[in-house]
Amino acid sequence: MQEVHAIPGARFLDPVVLHRIGNLELVSRAVVDGFINGLHKAPYFGASVDFAEHRGYVPGDDVRRMDWRVWARTDRLYIKEYEAESNMNFSVLLDVSKSMDYGSRGITKLDYARILGACLTNLVHHQRDRVGFAAFDDDIVEFVPPSAKHMDTVVHVMDRLKAGKPGSLKAPLHKLAEHFGRRGILALISDFYEDPDTVLEAVSPLRFRGNDIIVFHVLDRTELEFGFADASPFEDLETGEQMPVVPEAFREEYRSLVKAHIEALRSSFSKVRVDYTMVDTSQPLDHALFRYLSSRSRSMKSR
Amino acid sequence: MSFLAPLFLIALAGLAIPVLLHLTQREKKQIVFFPSLMFVRRIPYQSVRRRKIQNWLLLAIRLTALALIIAAFARPLLTRPDAPIAIGQGARELVVLLDVSYSMGYGDRWSRAQSAARDALRGLSPSDRGSVVLFASGADIATRSTGEVNALTATVDAAKPGAGSTRYAPALKVATSLLTDSQLPRREVVMISDFQRTGWQGAEGTALPSGTVLTPVAVQGGSDRPNVTVTAASLARSTFATQERAVITAGLTNHADAPVSGMTLTLEMNGLAVGTRPVSLEPGASGSVTFDAVTIGQRNMRGSLKLSDDALAADNVRHFVLSPADPLRVTLVERGGGNSLYVTRALAIGEAPKFDTVTKGPDALSDDDLRRSAVVVLNDVPVATALARRLARYVEGGGGLLVAAGQRASWPSDVEVLPASIGAPVDRTRGPASRVTGLELGHAVFEAFRAPRSGDFSSIRVYGYRQVAAVADAQVLARFDGGAPAVLEKRLGAGRVLMWSSTLDQSWTDLPMKPVFLPFIHRAATYLAAYVPPQPSLTVGQVLDPTTAGAHKGQAPPRVLLTPSGRRMDLTDEGADVLELTEQGFYELRGEGNEAAVVAANVDPAEADPTPIDTAEIVSAAGAGAASASAATNATPLTPEAREKSQRIWWYLLFAGVLLLGLDTLVSNRLTKA
Repeated sequence: MQEVHAIPGARFLDPVVLHRIGNLELVSRAVVDGFINGLHKAPYFGASVDFAEHRGYVPGDDVRRMDWRVWARTDRLYIKEYEAESNMNFSVLLDVSKSMDYGSRGITKLDYARILGACLTNLVHHQRDRVGFAAFDDDIVEFVPPSAKHMDTVVHVMDRLKAGKPGSLKAPLHKLAEHFGRRGILALISDFYEDPDTVLEAVSPLRFRGNDIIVFHVLDRTELEFGFADASPFEDLETGEQMPVVPEAFREEYRSLVKAHIEALRSSFSKVRVDYTMVDTSQPLDHALFRYLSSRSRSMKSR
Repeated sequence: MSFLAPLFLIALAGLAIPVLLHLTQREKKQIVFFPSLMFVRRIPYQSVRRRKIQNWLLLAIRLTALALIIAAFARPLLTRPDAPIAIGQGARELVVLLDVSYSMGYGDRWSRAQSAARDALRGLSPSDRGSVVLFASGADIATRSTGEVNALTATVDAAKPGAGSTRYAPALKVATSLLTDSQLPRREVVMISDFQRTGWQGAEGTALPSGTVLTPVAVQGGSDRPNVTVTAASLARSTFATQERAVITAGLTNHADAPVSGMTLTLEMNGLAVGTRPVSLEPGASGSVTFDAVTIGQRNMRGSLKLSDDALAADNVRHFVLSPADPLRVTLVERGGGNSLYVTRALAIGEAPKFDTVTKGPDALSDDDLRRSAVVVLNDVPVATALARRLARYVEGGGGLLVAAGQRASWPSDVEVLPASIGAPVDRTRGPASRVTGLELGHAVFEAFRAPRSGDFSSIRVYGYRQVAAVADAQVLARFDGGAPAVLEKRLGAGRVLMWSSTLDQSWTDLPMKPVFLPFIHRAATYLAAYVPPQPSLTVGQVLDPTTAGAHKGQAPPRVLLTPSGRRMDLTDEGADVLELTEQGFYELRGEGNEAAVVAANVDPAEADPTPIDTAEIVSAAGAGAASASAATNATPLTPEAREKSQRIWWYLLFAGVLLLGLDTLVSNRLTKA
């Protein structure tokens, strides 16, 4: 039975295949081409052709935006306000902790997240938005401030990223919050191996700055299913800790714990109006992209 | 703790193999890298730990089981050098000697003896071993040293008194051999018997191993009923108008302390009662009962003297066999002239045995004559070579030859039959006559003259004799006063040859006129015929030779023996050539055809004598007694083998090992299912 995809042609966008292409820019372009431009609207009012609303004149307002027709009819001064377009900041915050360097099916979570980030960046860049990038483990590893000209830089930085150190969310995200003073969209891509409350606490400063946050929770299929057969010593990629594990005996309990963790993250984020998307690296990228776009459009409507 | 076979412990090194495998496999095992053990860590650690312990438990069970089995093979034993095992401690070897002589059938003695034996066996602990020996005149190990009390008790239950008589010495010797073979520290003998004095003929080398405790259990008395024994059946034969008859007299003894009256004694011939006599006896007295004469009309007539019922049944019967007397055929070979007159007359006298005398000339002696003759007498005849050869064959086949070497006697020199070559005659008519001296009184022919005044050979005067030279294997039984051989003997094949170097008539000697002539001729004839007087009965415990028992000349050897209980024994089997009589009654020997010989077997009447022996006499003679302290201190330390055998630790180890293996199967099955 043919798999039905949200986007025509997306079935060709198998992340493993894309990963083999190697050139991140080419990859992101290949994925993004075909997506409809202008699907999203900027969350700000600004100079544009789309009228939004009237507002009373306040001294200092640009007299060129005064609606003279209304003045002629009502003898009151109103200012025309328009929907702002393509002038937002979009940044990808990518977790490059050691745990991201895991993949059971030929592509690691980091590679998947990299492609996903590049695609989003590319998509946003097509909209003439400013794009930025930040990578972190237990500290900020890379930072590219948002700019309309930084597309190439972002893709280049992303391309040479390597997972190295054990990571934590709180410290680097708190530090990053200071860099994102201007409101924008932040796409946080991580595997969130932390307590949901800690995660929320780490994300909060970004949110308080008025940023829209989209969270991509990247997990390998094995992390979800725990499909190991033989009893073996397991080693934590980040801490190096080893412990003997009998997968048969652990599986059910592990699955329920992971499920509970995902649910806890989902409910925690939804409470603070943060978009949460769980991404399985065995699934094509279009799922993640579509989730992003649809959530964007939902947020526009709800405003 | 030490081991009898410590080399087996090397196998313990093999235990390391599974552990090593386990360890090396663990090291080789692929480490699985996982992004985070955050959730794994949250899974209760106890469950992981328990599972691990269970696997270790399985390993431990398996290793322990293997170690136990290996240890069992190494045969461990506990050694306590400071405390030597004293007699009175440790496992014991018990030998129960149970008397099964027929006197045990008296009253309730047998049931008491059985319960005494069972009591003794019940006292066996699991580490003890016991044997049951049933004894009468001989002793049989019914159950050899075993720890199974049930088997021992079953042996006692199945035993019953036989027809034998009591003898203690064989039983004690068997007990000695059993105890000597045993490795156990304590040795006990329980002897259960009615302890009759007749069974004890002195110590007879019946010393039990040192430290053995001999416990006599006497089962005596048991009935107030009288006990009379038929001790003998004597037969007085006579001939009445060509018919042979026998007068049967029974000997009876009253062993009870009360007078006996009103009992009856019945004589049965071939199963038919022919006479009954009342029996009355004073306490401890013996008497005899004589029946009317019985005509002996056929061979192997079965006679029984049966006493009416009393306290002991086995000694109430006495069997015997009556057959017409078989005369010994003696063929006298002479030249004529009546020189065999004295011999013929001498052989015509006598009942046991009777002689049937035939006189023949040397030329008329046929092979049939030889075949039918028990003895051939060559009374001063010259013998041609052909006759000499036939006589040689006859002697080799079992015949007897008496040669009287007078004036005419001659023998071909190339036929070696005679004990001496016949030489020139010696004339002693002038001067003093020769006397016969130097008699070999130990020989069967002259044994009758051994006692003083029982015959004087020295009174014989010999006026002439033949000079003879004894051959190598001949025995000189008597000599003339000059030293020349007078009587010589030689054995040839199955037969015997006697030579008298003078005459059997008055021509050269006055021997026929002397009183010793008749017994000498009778003795010589019965000796040469290898005559054995027929026995009316044998006693249980005696050995029967089937090839000679009841057989008469010319009969084929028997092939089958029928015992009184009806058991059939094939005598052609190996080892059946000698049989011990064990039953009371008539044994029947059958050959080819319907020829049958019958042998009567009776119990030993002495066994009925209840006179007891002081058991202390047996105990002291057996060298046993209470296990004294000195015996304990003198006890030699046990060998490690004996110690190990008595401890039997290996058995427990092996059992535990097998049990653990079973447990291992259970545990591993459960783990697999879980």
